[in-house]
Amino acid sequence: MEGISLAYFGAAIGLGLIVIGAGLGIGKLAAAAAEGIARQPNATDKITGAVNLPLFLLEGVAILAEVFALLIVLMK
Amino acid sequence: MMLAQEHAQELGEHAAGAVEKFNAGKTIIEHVSNSSLEHPLLQLPTIAGINFSVTKHVLMLWLVSAFVFVVVTITVRRFLKQDRPIPAGFMNPLEALVEFIRDSIALPNVGKKWVNVWTPLLLTFFVFIFCANIIGLIPVFEVLGLLDHFVLHTDEHSIVKLLLHGGTTATANFNVTAALALITFSAIIIAGSRAHGFVQHWINLVPHGLAWPLYILLIPIEIMGMLVRPFALTMRLAANMTGGHIAILAILSFVFLFTEMFGRAVAGVGVGVAVSVPLASAISMLEIIVVLVQAYVFTLLSAVFIGMAIHVHH
Repeated sequence: MEGISLAYFGAAIGLGLIVIGAGLGIGKLAAAAAEGIARQPNATDKITGAVNLPLFLLEGVAILAEVFALLIVLMK
Repeated sequence: MMLAQEHAQELGEHAAGAVEKFNAGKTIIEHVSNSSLEHPLLQLPTIAGINFSVTKHVLMLWLVSAFVFVVVTITVRRFLKQDRPIPAGFMNPLEALVEFIRDSIALPNVGKKWVNVWTPLLLTFFVFIFCANIIGLIPVFEVLGLLDHFVLHTDEHSIVKLLLHGGTTATANFNVTAALALITFSAIIIAGSRAHGFVQHWINLVPHGLAWPLYILLIPIEIMGMLVRPFALTMRLAANMTGGHIAILAILSFVFLFTEMFGRAVAGVGVGVAVSVPLASAISMLEIIVVLVQAYVFTLLSAVFIGMAIHVHH
């Protein structure tokens, strides 16, 4: 197998894993937030504020990983 | 013999090269990246190893900065010159934005004592990043290209042609976002130094009262964390902006790819009407949300990091 085919293969599998990881993490956060708001509707602002930061940090990690996967494909 | 074969091969290539094959990857990368260093918009000298030529992204940076500066300054000056400070016109959303950022981003993170010190910086971040991102979504240079193609017919090497290779989001260039992250990095150090003193800020990086072997592990981790956070800010903003544009351009290239595959324009237009244009419109709408969210996230994370330097809690 050529090096470039293996690179495409690895990047594709990697991207799938990244999406699974980000989906699981953000899903768990959203579920916890929804449950918290359902139990105490008047704490909505605090819960939203607490969920915001980890949400975007996780999304940032996913984007970073996607950039590196793209780099694997583009680097010769 | 060899010369004749090579000659024939060259002729064959010339005949086939009369119509260029559509190279999707190359076109997309050309649209999204900066103008090359050999063909900048305005060639300027190289001072101390830094090439000061004006490229596409530099021009967009200047345009966005000028636009934001003019709009905000005129609005606020007009508001302040009134007899009684009642907001009218564009000052209404501007005031709502300032209050939103001060009350829900700056105040919970930075604390009441420092909120007036750091709100201007956070406001500048938000407004600049939002405007730079959203101007990238408006097809300024494509409209210019249409104008040039049908109306103006400028020369091959004119400045209009140089501007034309696609829309530009200034913040899609990771150098621009690296500069913004560098501002955040300095702001963190300045905030910690103003609140606790310069030396105490660095001592605050690690928690107190631990056994000394733990410090050997903790100090490199904290230093790495300090450096990784601005890097993550950089890449998050740049990758989000670039990714959206690449997705839209890739979907629009389906039209050309299908035209080439079937050899007829009808195939391309059919695919375009049925698939490409609706999908690209949907992704552009998603892009508007992403633009807003990314500006908000950059500002929020800067506020959180500055707040962490001021209110040290481990």
